[in-house]
Amino acid sequence: MIEILRLSLPITVWLTGFSAVYALQGLSCSRHWPADLEARPVLLAAWAVAFVLQLIALIAVLYAPSPVRFVQTTATALAATALVAAVWTMMPVLAASACL
Amino acid sequence: MTDARPSSVSQPRGKALRLHRGLARIWGSDQRFRGWLTTSNNNDIGTLFLIVATSFFVIGGILAMLIRTQLATPDSAFMAPQVYSQIFTMHGTVMMFLFAIPFFEAMSMLLLPGMLGTRDLAFPRLGAYGLWVYIFGGSAVIIAMLMGLAPDGGWFMYPPLSSAAFSPGIGADVWLLGITSIEVSAIATAIEVIVTVLRYRAAGMSLSRMPIFAWYILVVSVMILTAFPPMILGSLLLEVERALNWPFFKVENGGDPLLWQHLFWLFGHPEVYIIFLPAAGVIATILPVMARTNLLGYGWVVAAAVSLAVLSFGLWVHHMFTTGIPHIGLAFFSAASTLVAVPTSVMIFSWIGTLWKGRARMELPMLWIMGFFATFVIGGLTGVMLAVVPFNWQVHDTHFVVAHLHYVLIGGYVFPMVAAIYYFMPLLTGRTRFFKLGEVAFWLVVPSFHITFLSIHMAGLLGQRRRTWTYDADQGWTALNLVASVASFVMAIGFALIILDVAVNAFVAVRGRRNPWGAGTLEWAAAIPSPAYGFASIPIVQGRYPLHDDPDLALHIARGEGYLGDASRNRRETLIVSTARGEPSQVVVLPGNSVLPFLLALVTSTSFLAPLFDAYIVAGLALVGVVALALVWAWGLGARADEGHVDAGHGAKLPLASESPDPPGWWGSVFLLLADGVHFGSLLFGYAFLWTVAPNWPPHSYLQAQLWAVILALTGALALTAGPRLAVRAIATGGAVWPTIALGIVGALALAIAAASVILDRPDPASHAYDATLWLLAGHVGLHTFLSSIMLFYLAARGAAGYASPARIGEAGIVRLWADFTVATGLVALAAAWLPGAFA
Repeated sequence: MIEILRLSLPITVWLTGFSAVYALQGLSCSRHWPADLEARPVLLAAWAVAFVLQLIALIAVLYAPSPVRFVQTTATALAATALVAAVWTMMPVLAASACL
Repeated sequence: MTDARPSSVSQPRGKALRLHRGLARIWGSDQRFRGWLTTSNNNDIGTLFLIVATSFFVIGGILAMLIRTQLATPDSAFMAPQVYSQIFTMHGTVMMFLFAIPFFEAMSMLLLPGMLGTRDLAFPRLGAYGLWVYIFGGSAVIIAMLMGLAPDGGWFMYPPLSSAAFSPGIGADVWLLGITSIEVSAIATAIEVIVTVLRYRAAGMSLSRMPIFAWYILVVSVMILTAFPPMILGSLLLEVERALNWPFFKVENGGDPLLWQHLFWLFGHPEVYIIFLPAAGVIATILPVMARTNLLGYGWVVAAAVSLAVLSFGLWVHHMFTTGIPHIGLAFFSAASTLVAVPTSVMIFSWIGTLWKGRARMELPMLWIMGFFATFVIGGLTGVMLAVVPFNWQVHDTHFVVAHLHYVLIGGYVFPMVAAIYYFMPLLTGRTRFFKLGEVAFWLVVPSFHITFLSIHMAGLLGQRRRTWTYDADQGWTALNLVASVASFVMAIGFALIILDVAVNAFVAVRGRRNPWGAGTLEWAAAIPSPAYGFASIPIVQGRYPLHDDPDLALHIARGEGYLGDASRNRRETLIVSTARGEPSQVVVLPGNSVLPFLLALVTSTSFLAPLFDAYIVAGLALVGVVALALVWAWGLGARADEGHVDAGHGAKLPLASESPDPPGWWGSVFLLLADGVHFGSLLFGYAFLWTVAPNWPPHSYLQAQLWAVILALTGALALTAGPRLAVRAIATGGAVWPTIALGIVGALALAIAAASVILDRPDPASHAYDATLWLLAGHVGLHTFLSSIMLFYLAARGAAGYASPARIGEAGIVRLWADFTVATGLVALAAAWLPGAFA
């Protein structure tokens, strides 16, 4: 089970981060969002947190390697993919309008 | 593992024959007609699945021909608009739910045990149950159509069109309940497949030596467990709204129809990959054999499959680009949609590289794979076009989208599956193809497919809307539609020829030899057609292509030179291995034939379908029947005495799975709870979505938590956590079990009362979506505390009847798992119900 988690966890972290940033964007456009709080800095911060978590996941895979070589190689590839995905898919927080 | 390789010492031929006879007697099905109802063997279940799924494919194809007949000419009077709506809805429904998924499940059931080197799937009776639920649910949907009661809201059933106001009658209910029961079937099969791939393999088959098809099916099965629950929840919400007027999608009462779209596409987009990935697994299996080489970049392909699966869960909103979502949301999902092209390309380039390094032979399966390449790449590229938001806006709901999805689904799924049927035909039927209709069919289907759907692409670009029953002659689409319709009939003739070719060859072609393609994977080491027991002994493998490593492996297996090559214990035994390294770790005894799966499927389907006719009492009785039969089913498993380690061959003494702390049932429960957890998470998502964006919120008041209820919930959670743990300890040490069970049941009861307080405080779930959601949250807690209580009673009874001992502790571990899940989700559900009131 540990090996299965090692393979699946980093990219699941991406899915969680992506969904969380999207949810935060939805919240920032809702009636619950404080009127005096700018959405973009918060979204940028959330993106940064997602990126850092993804980086930690990659480092964890590298520094706590699996004894099974195939698992280790595949987990590293998946963690790197997740890191790239975190950068690419959440990049719109840089420029796109949040609530239009 | 005590021995890396089977003994090369020849055994007498008589031993192999005796072993075959013994195993055939133990594993065989009842040869009378009732055997079809009682069999749990993967060959029988897979074959039935395959025949039924193909039948649904034929029905879906006939519906497609009706659609093309209607659209062949402008102002056609062939069908009334109401009938046309039913026909296109049923075409999509049948092809997506009744054909595509069950067909690859059938292939998985038939092929996986052989590929993995095991004798059957992990839960044979669960497989039989899934089959019968599928047959009952699918048949109900088709019968409703024949009676003119088919749904007509499109295969994704958007409210408010599908609401009771705009879709009166039972058509939409047939869809919601019938499809949900089929999803239950798919989840059952997925759990069976996951546990099989992770634990039921040949000795020495580590993760890196697993056949690539097994990797794909493992990934897809996990996707089913995580993609189907949002759809099941959506169906539940819509059905409850239609039947009881709980307003989840009604704007005037705090609902939002966009919630349905989110839930549907949280399922619907991964569904596309759930359909494509098994086909990719088939290609990655067949193509290297046809190219007479090995798959290039095995590890990269595995990584691509996993990443594609997870990325596909971040794409659902690209089906909702025209719903008024803010630009940033569009950009998120546009970016994610373009990203999936990367892992898909990794696979495509792996296959091209494999062809490059090998020497391809253009046999019929290879022809179909070539057809796949030509078609799927075009479908993928139009997918990238659709991921670009401005283009998506232009062609939304036009025939361009229809053509794109058919390129992906027919080119990306049906063509590889036809390749698989022809490739595995010698294995499944024991015969070598003699009649050559298949080549004719190929040259009919593939060109006519492209003529059909390129024309439809063009019609879409010219503005033809999907789901409109006709068009005017002056709109400029006449020639394109006529060409598409004529070509589609040619395609249909081609598919009919394939079915005819397969049927004729399966029954009357000459007997073939083993492994005619020269493949290296284990399924070709079994006798053909595969006997009920699969392998006479469990193979020992040292590489990814065991038959290439040892060309005599089939003989060694038949002579009983692998593990468990002995029928003397007179029961259905197979090997369980460690997940990562494939080392033998347990011997599992599989259950025999039984009519229980059929009966349980019957009452399950009755509980789903009876509400269609307002027979709620019948539905309630059927649910009682489900619980009763499930208990009878479970009671028949296990043993009343410890057996200790058993001889597995090669000097290995292994524990029985029933005397291990993590039996297959524990693994199955983990994955079932994963699906349950996603279902619960989807409910929380729906709640949060309505709270955040739905109009007509907040409700007139929020629920105020009662202090006594909070205290009851916390103490109940504590007791339900402690009870099962203490029960495990009591069984392990021979202590008294009943007091610990009582503690757990009291805890469950307390949690249930706390949940009931939510319902009592908000007595009218039809008044607002908030109240309806509170009822569902409380219902989740109530259902799971009920299940936990039943399990605790069951555990106590099992202990009293001698089914538990310090060695046989696995069942108690399963109960603890369910109790922990109940506590965790119960507390979250109650917190979600109470917190808005606390902060309002």
